[in-house]
Amino acid sequence: MFDFLIHVLIMCCLYSMLALSLNLQVGFGGLMNFGQIALFGCGAYGAALAYKYDLGFASGILIAVGLSAFVSWAFAGIGRNLQSDYWGIATLALAEVVRIIVTNEGWLTGGAQGISGIKPLLPELSGRSQQLGNLAICGAVLLVALLACMRLTRSRYGLGLKLMREEPQLAQSVGYDIMSLKRGCMIFSGFIAAAAGFIFAHYITFVGPDQMFSSETFLIWAMIVIGGLGNHFGAVFGAFLLQFIFAFIPFVKDMLGLPTEFVAAMRLVLIGGGLIGFILWRRTGLFPEKVGGRADG
Amino acid sequence: MIEVQGVRAGYGDGPDILNGINLVADAGKIVTILGPNGCGKSTLLKCIAGFVRPRAGDVRMSGTAVTNLKAHEKVRSHGVGFVPQTDNVFSSMSVTENIMLGARFVARAEREQRFEALLTQYPALAAKRNRKASALSGGERQLLSLARALIAKPRILLLDEPSAGLSPRMMHEVFEAISEIRAREGICILMVEQNAFEALHISDTAYVLSLGDVAMQGRASDLLADPAMRSLYLGGDAPH
Repeated sequence: MFDFLIHVLIMCCLYSMLALSLNLQVGFGGLMNFGQIALFGCGAYGAALAYKYDLGFASGILIAVGLSAFVSWAFAGIGRNLQSDYWGIATLALAEVVRIIVTNEGWLTGGAQGISGIKPLLPELSGRSQQLGNLAICGAVLLVALLACMRLTRSRYGLGLKLMREEPQLAQSVGYDIMSLKRGCMIFSGFIAAAAGFIFAHYITFVGPDQMFSSETFLIWAMIVIGGLGNHFGAVFGAFLLQFIFAFIPFVKDMLGLPTEFVAAMRLVLIGGGLIGFILWRRTGLFPEKVGGRADG
Repeated sequence: MIEVQGVRAGYGDGPDILNGINLVADAGKIVTILGPNGCGKSTLLKCIAGFVRPRAGDVRMSGTAVTNLKAHEKVRSHGVGFVPQTDNVFSSMSVTENIMLGARFVARAEREQRFEALLTQYPALAAKRNRKASALSGGERQLLSLARALIAKPRILLLDEPSAGLSPRMMHEVFEAISEIRAREGICILMVEQNAFEALHISDTAYVLSLGDVAMQGRASDLLADPAMRSLYLGGDAPH
């Protein structure tokens, strides 16, 4: 049970990074990204490709950073002339394109079979100590990501993001470059999502296109909507809450003697129901955004 | 200060909304663009501000070509202050925060001084300096957006229908404030307006647009006295 709890906590940390990243885009910048999982995939495949071609750990980080910067830049670029709802659809489509490329370019990515046997983050350790080490790494990276996000959103740049979200034309009229804000926000948050993907690949030791289904993006959306859009702690809390609920659904199933399909179905009900319920009755989420801005940054 | 030569513009793949507009606005003057709904007034202002890129023609500010500059670049490099028609304040921020947003490019030492001076000029804002902008009336919001533009010490002020949705009393106050800005700051003010009579009274010159072309232009006082202008846009005889 203890090992299972550590595993759940590691997944909580990884999803918290994804939620922080998406919250920066949606909650602060008003960028309706439905392709978040592609940025996670960039990190995961960065680790996998470096392993496959024996390039080393540092090269894996560089590949992950490069891929996520490119995909984030492409996301921001296609939004140049699109309104937010159309941009959201475009990001969903682009994420699917990335997944299909990964599935079909087997010579590079291993295709549908993926790439397995990736080196763990702490190969010199084993068993429980390795798990605890993984948890420490995940917790530390999450803490760094949280502090970086807090610092960014309290800066003049963060104020610009909020202004862009509220009144884009007005933000331009006080001198903010909207395109540069969008690009910067996407690339920075892309790095956080890629970091989650990179660690995930080394933790699970396997990467495949099935990890990049768009349903994962909507899970992350549910985390930030339930936790509270525009609130970093809300995003982290939402990730922990949903991950813990998901982890304990199988125990509920066993207790009540329900069929196995109940687990998968219940997860979908929780994501969809949570999203709808909070959007209808508590739009601010469990931890509402602190409104107001800094006057002179 | 502002020269517009042969500007044609439209949105997306749609037809031209402006069919080659020429316009001049000098420093220390109020120039008003009038015309019925859909004649292209706001599009012209957006072309000048940098929100819409002209399909043809030139926009110059202080003799420099700025046709292809974006709005934020004109704010930074040419001292343009733009006040949109609607959504002209950040509702979740206080009055103070809204004004100080305009001071991004003003030296720190000067910010407070200009801020206090603006509050003295607009006592309605001073009384509500810590309130959220969402709690202000339409007229107060308009004054707030003017104050935000003015704290940046603009050389050019672009106003998109500053009297839209205001009561007659508030409309009068806003026009008075605009007239005072010209006297005090000596800057170039280009304004799009529907309320032709009030706007012409404080303007130096005016352009009347019709279906994307300049139908009439001249001194505001001449246009106020023009019978054709009166029958078309001022509702018959000018009020006394």
